[in-house]
Amino acid sequence: MSEVKKVLLAEDNSVLSLLLKFKLEKEGYQLFIAVNGKEAIEIVEAHSPDIILTDIMMPFVSGLEVISHVRYKLEIQTPIIVFSSAGQEEMVIKAFNLGATDFMSKPFSPNELSIRIKRLMR
Amino acid sequence: MANIYQYCIDYFNDAPIIIQLSWVLSALFAVTLISLIFYLKFLRSTLRTKERIQNVYLKKYESDLIEYLYSGNEDEEMTKEQGIIVNYLHKCAQNRLKRKLIITTLLKLRNEVSGETADAIKRLYYQTGLIDYGTLKLRSKKWEIVARGIKELAQFDVTEVHYNVIAQINHPKKEVRREVQMYLVKLFHFKGLDFLDLLKSQLSEWDQIQLLEILQNFDDQNLPSTTKWLRSKNTSVVLFALKIAKIYNQYDAKDEIIKLLEHPDLNVRIDAIAVLGDLGVFEMVDLLKNNLNEKDIDEQIAFFKMMENMYTPSDVDFLFEYMNHENFDIKVSVNKIFKEMNIQDASKFQINTAPESPPSSTNLIQAS
Repeated sequence: MSEVKKVLLAEDNSVLSLLLKFKLEKEGYQLFIAVNGKEAIEIVEAHSPDIILTDIMMPFVSGLEVISHVRYKLEIQTPIIVFSSAGQEEMVIKAFNLGATDFMSKPFSPNELSIRIKRLMR
Repeated sequence: MANIYQYCIDYFNDAPIIIQLSWVLSALFAVTLISLIFYLKFLRSTLRTKERIQNVYLKKYESDLIEYLYSGNEDEEMTKEQGIIVNYLHKCAQNRLKRKLIITTLLKLRNEVSGETADAIKRLYYQTGLIDYGTLKLRSKKWEIVARGIKELAQFDVTEVHYNVIAQINHPKKEVRREVQMYLVKLFHFKGLDFLDLLKSQLSEWDQIQLLEILQNFDDQNLPSTTKWLRSKNTSVVLFALKIAKIYNQYDAKDEIIKLLEHPDLNVRIDAIAVLGDLGVFEMVDLLKNNLNEKDIDEQIAFFKMMENMYTPSDVDFLFEYMNHENFDIKVSVNKIFKEMNIQDASKFQINTAPESPPSSTNLIQAS
C-alpha cells in the first residue's frame, strides 16, 4: 500500500483553504493548513510535507520567506507551487529565483491545481 | 458621616465664586468621563459580540458553500443536498446582515477561483435570490447603495441587467458613474465602451487608466473603431479615444486624428500630435510645419518631441531654424535630432571643424 502524500497549504483565505482541503483530501492527500507563513514554516519543520502550496502575500511571514526558509535554511528540495494575484509578476520572478517550482495565477482552477500537484508528485 | 457631608456643603457655600465654579466644572467633567468610559465599554462589548456572531455565521456559510460545491453532480441541475443549502441561504438572505455575510463569503472564493467552481458560485448567487437584492440596489435613492449594487453585479458577472446599469451612466455622483463604466468594460470588453456615446460628464484621467487596465486583460481582437469617439463633443472621450488609438495602433483613424489638430481644446491638439507620431503618419509633419508658428507653444513642443522619431534628412533646413529657439524644450529636441542624424548618416549632415574665419554660432553647423 502506498504511503499517503502530505500536502502543506499556506493560504490566508479561509474559504479557498477549505475548498482545496476538501478537494485534495478527496483525492487521497493528507492536508496541513497554515494561515500564515510562520505556521507554514512550523509545519514544514514538524511534518516534512511532500509538496508545499503557498500564497505569496500572507500575514507575518510572506510566501517568499517560506520558500527562502525551505530552500536555504532547511535545504530541502520539496516542490513548491506559488499562488500569485494580478500585478504580482515581480514577486513571482523573485519566488522562482528563490527556488519555487511552479506558480499559479489567481483566480485559478482547482482542477488544474490538482493536475499540477499530481505531475510534481510523480 | 453627616458631619463630613455638612462640612463639604459649608466649604462649598463659603468658597469664592471662582472656586465654586471650578468644583462644578470638575464634577461635570468627572460625570461625563465616567459616562463615556461606560459607553465605550458597552460599545466595545457590543462590537465584539457582533463580530463573534458574524464569525460564527461566516464559518457556517463557508462550510455551506463548500458543501454546495461538492454535493453537485453532472446529471442533475441541483441535487437534494444542494437544494437544502439553497433554501437555507435563501431564507438567511432575507436578513440584511446575513445577506451581506453570504455575499462576502461567495466573493471571497469567487475572486480566487475560475472555471467550473466560479460558475457554480455564480449559479448559487442566482438560486439563492441574491441577484434580486443586487438588482434592487440599482433603484435605491442612496448613491452609495447604487454604486455597491453595480459593483456586486459586476463581481458576479451578471450581464442580464446591463440596461438598468447603463441607465446610470450619467449619474450625478462620479463614484456611481465609475462603477457603471467598470461594469460595462469588465463584462462586455470592447463592446462595453459604447457607453462613451452616451457619456455627458468628463471621464477623469484615473477612470481612463482603470478602463485601459481592464481592457488589457482581454485578448479580444475585435477592436471597435474609435472614429465616432474622436468626433465626440465630450473632450475627455476624445482624449480617451486617442489613448485607445495609440495603444491599439489604430492607423485607420489617422484622418480623424489629423482633423483633431484643429480641435478647440489644446490638450486634444497636443495628444493628437503625439498619437500621429506614434502611428507614424508622416504626411502630418508637412501639414504642421506649414503653420507651426501660429500654433501654441505647447503644440510646438509636442511637435518637436514627435519629430525626434519622425525626422527625415529633408527636414534639416527646417530644423536648423529652430536650433536656437528661445524655448528650452524645443532647443533640446532639435539638438537631439541633429545628434541622431549625425550618427546615422554623417554624409547628410556634417560639422565644419576648421572654418577659415571665426564663425558665428549659427554657422557652426551646416547641412550638406
